[in-house]
Amino acid sequence: MAKYITKRILLAIVSIWIITMITFFAMNAIPGGPFNKEKATDPAVIKQLEERYNLDKPLGEQYVIYIKNLLHGDWGVSLKTGRPIWSDMINKFGVSAKLGVRAAIIAIIVGIILGSCAALTRNRLPDRLIIFFTTLGTAMPSFVLATLLLLVFCLWLGWFQVFSSSDPNYTLPVIALSVYPMAYITRLTKTSMLDALNQDYIRTARAKGVSKLKVIFVHGLRNALIPVITYVGPMVAYILVGSMVVENIFTIGGLGSTFVTSISNRDYPTIMAVTIFLAILMVFANLLTDVVYKLVDPRIKLD
Amino acid sequence: MKKKLIAVLLVASMAASMVACGNKNSGSASKEAAAPAEATTVNTDTTTLKINLASEPDYLDPALNSSVDGATLACNSFVGLYTYDETDTPVPALADGEPEISEDGLHYTFKMIESKWSNGEEVTANDFVYSWNRAVAEETAADYAYMFAPIATNDDGTLKIEATDDYTLEVELNAPCAYFYDLLAFPAFMPVYQPEVEAANTDGTKPGAWCQDAGFTCNGAYTLTDWKHNESMTYTKNPNFYRADDVKIEKLEFMLSADDTAIYAAYNAGDLDFVDTHIPADEIETLKNSAEFNVVNTLGTYYVGFNVNSKIFDGLTKEQAVEMRQALSLLIDRQWIVDTVEPTEKTPADTFIPDGMNDGNGGTFEAEDAGYYDATATGANNIEEAVKLLEDCGYSFTENGDGTYAMSPALELTYLTNPSTKHEAVAALIQQDWGKVGISVKVETEDWNVFLEDRKAGKFDVAREGWIADFNDPINMLEMWVSYGGNNDMQFGKNPAKAAPDWTEYDELIQEIYTQTDYAKRAELMHKAEDMLMSTYAVVPVWFENNIYLQKSNVTGIIACKNMNKYFMYAEKTAE
Repeated sequence: MAKYITKRILLAIVSIWIITMITFFAMNAIPGGPFNKEKATDPAVIKQLEERYNLDKPLGEQYVIYIKNLLHGDWGVSLKTGRPIWSDMINKFGVSAKLGVRAAIIAIIVGIILGSCAALTRNRLPDRLIIFFTTLGTAMPSFVLATLLLLVFCLWLGWFQVFSSSDPNYTLPVIALSVYPMAYITRLTKTSMLDALNQDYIRTARAKGVSKLKVIFVHGLRNALIPVITYVGPMVAYILVGSMVVENIFTIGGLGSTFVTSISNRDYPTIMAVTIFLAILMVFANLLTDVVYKLVDPRIKLD
Repeated sequence: MKKKLIAVLLVASMAASMVACGNKNSGSASKEAAAPAEATTVNTDTTTLKINLASEPDYLDPALNSSVDGATLACNSFVGLYTYDETDTPVPALADGEPEISEDGLHYTFKMIESKWSNGEEVTANDFVYSWNRAVAEETAADYAYMFAPIATNDDGTLKIEATDDYTLEVELNAPCAYFYDLLAFPAFMPVYQPEVEAANTDGTKPGAWCQDAGFTCNGAYTLTDWKHNESMTYTKNPNFYRADDVKIEKLEFMLSADDTAIYAAYNAGDLDFVDTHIPADEIETLKNSAEFNVVNTLGTYYVGFNVNSKIFDGLTKEQAVEMRQALSLLIDRQWIVDTVEPTEKTPADTFIPDGMNDGNGGTFEAEDAGYYDATATGANNIEEAVKLLEDCGYSFTENGDGTYAMSPALELTYLTNPSTKHEAVAALIQQDWGKVGISVKVETEDWNVFLEDRKAGKFDVAREGWIADFNDPINMLEMWVSYGGNNDMQFGKNPAKAAPDWTEYDELIQEIYTQTDYAKRAELMHKAEDMLMSTYAVVPVWFENNIYLQKSNVTGIIACKNMNKYFMYAEKTAE
């Protein structure tokens, strides 16, 4: 296992390096620039800014400088705001992760429970209801769901404030973030569970008189979870970095919108930083997924 | 039966989803909460004003800020020699009354009142000398450095300003400046606290670093005490503000959002007292009847611009190119555009300089009856005249029998815009107007950043344009068209094509305006410049801009200026 993890980490470093290269040259190839404004900026000002941020140098040299700085822990400053990117990104990630972790936990627990229930009550009312609501959950765009939550819980019922600087409420954004993955996990669990419950070893266990609960939750669910784990790994990584739509509607200062706005602003160092950060998270999530595979099903060989 | 029931439920839920989708775009989620023209829920905390201006500001440094919302934040946390009063007139703030002005209008001597920074230290004339020189210094790289252009400079590039004692500031100008007091109230002219600015920028590459988090020193009505990035900002009353006794509201809380639906929901729920601009378009028609809905005419014009070097003018003489643009201008139904796209009581524009702008000589630049055409009557009424003008350019027309025409040879042009419901709707309406005489218009929507670049580079035939003046003087909207100017999107005098207007005279005229010492004569010259600009028909005004905002019925005393800045420090709020 240790050998496998070491190998994966080394591969991850290479992957991330390739990602930095592709991102760096691709973003510079996009038309537009970081200092474009509706009211023209004085060319002398632009020259000063380009010198300050090394944008006056050839692209290859810029890349080398960037990587060198990165290896020294310098993520640069935002071309849009002049703020240090690392501290800004970590603060925003903290907010997104606070929401994301809660949303992921809810999605996983509720999704697995509902999926199991649906599988065990196949073609009966609970199954129908669960499938109806999960279809709705996967089909409904997040901006619709978030707007509906705002309308119902803030305006109609008045349970939450839409805006509060002293006491921001994270309940609604967590629900908005968790519904889609929860619905997806439910459907995935149901399908896998049905598949697992039809396997020979389940029949054997039942024939041997193993209790129903043990058959379902120890033998059935454990095997049914493997496809769910495949989905959950990258899902957690995505959910941790936030959602632009949900953050905008609930005025959450997370990382979700940073990536999108940095692209439209051509804020090169921020684009690079968020891409690298997301890549690291994704690689880590995939690695963790593989390890969990092994724990759930010892027959799986990682090497 | 069960299957049928499930099918019905699914259809119902999908319908609900689609209705909800509509709500997102129309903002009618909030409509449910706010009956039209009825007072909305008020927040009864009389010590705090809850406000939405926009999303996270880029810079709070008054020298580096270039956004409208950032300017409002600066105006509420910094104060310069002048400010605006409730009549939108520049009045002395830290200046102790009017300055002494030399006979030639070039030397100003400001006596300052005694005032303090938020940390208790004295604000002196030297703070202004430092701050103004910092704003123009190359290493600061401030967008608004050019605003200091009226002030004379030394050989080393520093400004000719001097603190003759702690409370006396002398300023030398290049030429008399009709709008100098407006400049003095502009955020870039506000002082910054030198020790903090320098301590945060030891290597000279981080000029705005000193105010990137809460707690920095300022001299305005409020100090920033909490900043949750992309969420909220809290400003607390500064007891050292020179008019602290007049500040009744203890705290300003800003919601940092640009999501119209969320903002409007927060307003209706009583979580906001004031919303600037971000009002869902579909709500405006009903909100117009509400006492909470406010409109301020601003100093801006929305217009359509022709690239004078565009290939669509190839083969035409200068006069024909003008006629062609005139025809296209006549065909635009401005009143229809304003009524359908911008239901905010905007006025169709008949001049480039907006109504209400000063003339720099104590009057208003545009007389009430002034106008280059009847902006309320352009459009379908002018088809025949437009056809005649286009015939002069070599096009021939055949009537289609329904009031429209087919033209020969075909005229195809591209209308460049950026993604926005409003701008794309304007483009569609203009496409329709021009289509009536057989012109084929391709609307090209480009990403904002690319759009800016292409428009500056003249990579378009026609583009949507707009300008909000930085200060209340027509020169700000006339100087942008000099051939060497960075905002000359219409490409006047830039590698001129055969059909492009000769622009040397315009460049010379602007220089003459800069140095003209007689303000009456200067106003005349500015009229001449506008006449020259409008005679090209390359700049086709559509409407004059205004600023809309919502303000709760229990809030009074907010000063909303034509330059879109808002002063919240003298606001008052009652419990009902």
